[in-house]
Amino acid sequence: MALYTSLVILLITLLSIFYYQSQEKLMFSNQRAELSKYAYIQTKRLKVLHYFFPERTTYPRDPRFKSAIYDIEYKKIFSLLENENIHFNEEIYRAGNYIHFVKLLDTYYLGTKYLIIEVPEDMAWKKEAWKQIAIGSVLAFILFMVFGLILARLFLKPMRDSIVLLDRFIKDTTHELNTPLSAILTNIEMMDTDVMAEKNKKKLNRINIAAKTVSQLYKDLTYLTLKQEQKDHKEEIELQGLIRDRIEYFTALANTKQLYFELDTENVIIHADKQKITRVIDNLLSNAIKYNKRGGTISIKLRIGSLEVSDTGVGIDEEKIPFIFDRYMRFNQSEGGFGVGLSIVKKILDEYHIKIEVYSTINKGTKMVLTW
Amino acid sequence: MRLIQKLLFIVVLFTAILSAQNVYERNCVPCHKDLSTSLQQMFKKYLLVYSGEQNVKAGIIHYLQYPNRSISVMSKLFIESFGIKKKTTLSPEELNRAVDIYWEKFKVFNKLK
Repeated sequence: MALYTSLVILLITLLSIFYYQSQEKLMFSNQRAELSKYAYIQTKRLKVLHYFFPERTTYPRDPRFKSAIYDIEYKKIFSLLENENIHFNEEIYRAGNYIHFVKLLDTYYLGTKYLIIEVPEDMAWKKEAWKQIAIGSVLAFILFMVFGLILARLFLKPMRDSIVLLDRFIKDTTHELNTPLSAILTNIEMMDTDVMAEKNKKKLNRINIAAKTVSQLYKDLTYLTLKQEQKDHKEEIELQGLIRDRIEYFTALANTKQLYFELDTENVIIHADKQKITRVIDNLLSNAIKYNKRGGTISIKLRIGSLEVSDTGVGIDEEKIPFIFDRYMRFNQSEGGFGVGLSIVKKILDEYHIKIEVYSTINKGTKMVLTW
Repeated sequence: MRLIQKLLFIVVLFTAILSAQNVYERNCVPCHKDLSTSLQQMFKKYLLVYSGEQNVKAGIIHYLQYPNRSISVMSKLFIESFGIKKKTTLSPEELNRAVDIYWEKFKVFNKLK
């Protein structure tokens, strides 16, 4: 839009310049006829003066114009001009607020080769031209903008339609996923594992883990498509409790890799939207589990003003660290996911002005430090 | 004795008068005073054709050195009546000086008002 507007302004400016120049040429052309007449009259007077010289020495004057005479060597013979800046090679030109007309004489009366006729410039044409340019420019600008808008709407309509369709589809699908996922998770929790055969217990656990992974993805997707449109519901969050809840939620997943949680937490309260902070903790824990080694450790240290989540996993290349918060950026293709988790984390943290720092060593682990 | 004194006085006076006259007055004015057209009028004819100082001077000098009917600024009637002049006997320096004096005497500059 800005590019189109700039182009329109450029086009209007160019047209205005052309119009102004054409009006100027028109003015000069009108003046030329008038000044030629004056030059003719003055030449006749010079002729008379030449024959009566030196008995008569009064240079002929005319109230309609001023004039000057110069010889073939551009030497001034006599001048009444207000502006002495003369361009001998031009026929008609502007000199300050005056118009000069240069007439070359064939017979050099009193030695005159160049007769210069000077009249004050009539500014009326300029005012009229500026008025026309101003009105024309405004009208042209409006016309171009309306035309541009219509064109843009016409060209963008199919694209907008597909975006709206896709957006609606994602929102509907996300919404529809909620019910079956809740049903699966609730039913797993309700199952009586005591009477279950060991073989089935393992199978149920796997179903539980898979359902929680899908649930995690569902929550990320929900946040991206639906939650953004909702208002912030700030409340007092007791972080220590929330972290414990989320660890418990991920226990089944962590157990598959035989991971061990090291907790060093203090009682910390922050004022934020609970769902958003849960998304942050879930993503940090889920990453620490996903990219950890079998039998590794996840350390969580909570203090007033800071939270540290460390794993003993594969680590990230130092040069890749600045890009880990970009959406769809995944450094380890072996694990599932869309690469949206950390971008959501960054977005939420930025919203609450919480700083995040990443320290990582390949094959040793990663430490995420949040400070506020 | 008195006659000698008188003669001497006349010679001295004549020499003084002659030496007071410049190259232009000695060589141009005497011949032109008998013509129907004055030196002033001739100057204006040169101006009509040659315009600027350098042009006018060059035109006059060339004509005086190589007088020719075809390049004369004078009218046909004038030439038929008086003919064309003989080639100048003045040296180029004298000629230049004479023409300079002629220009200064009749030029239009600073005479219009």
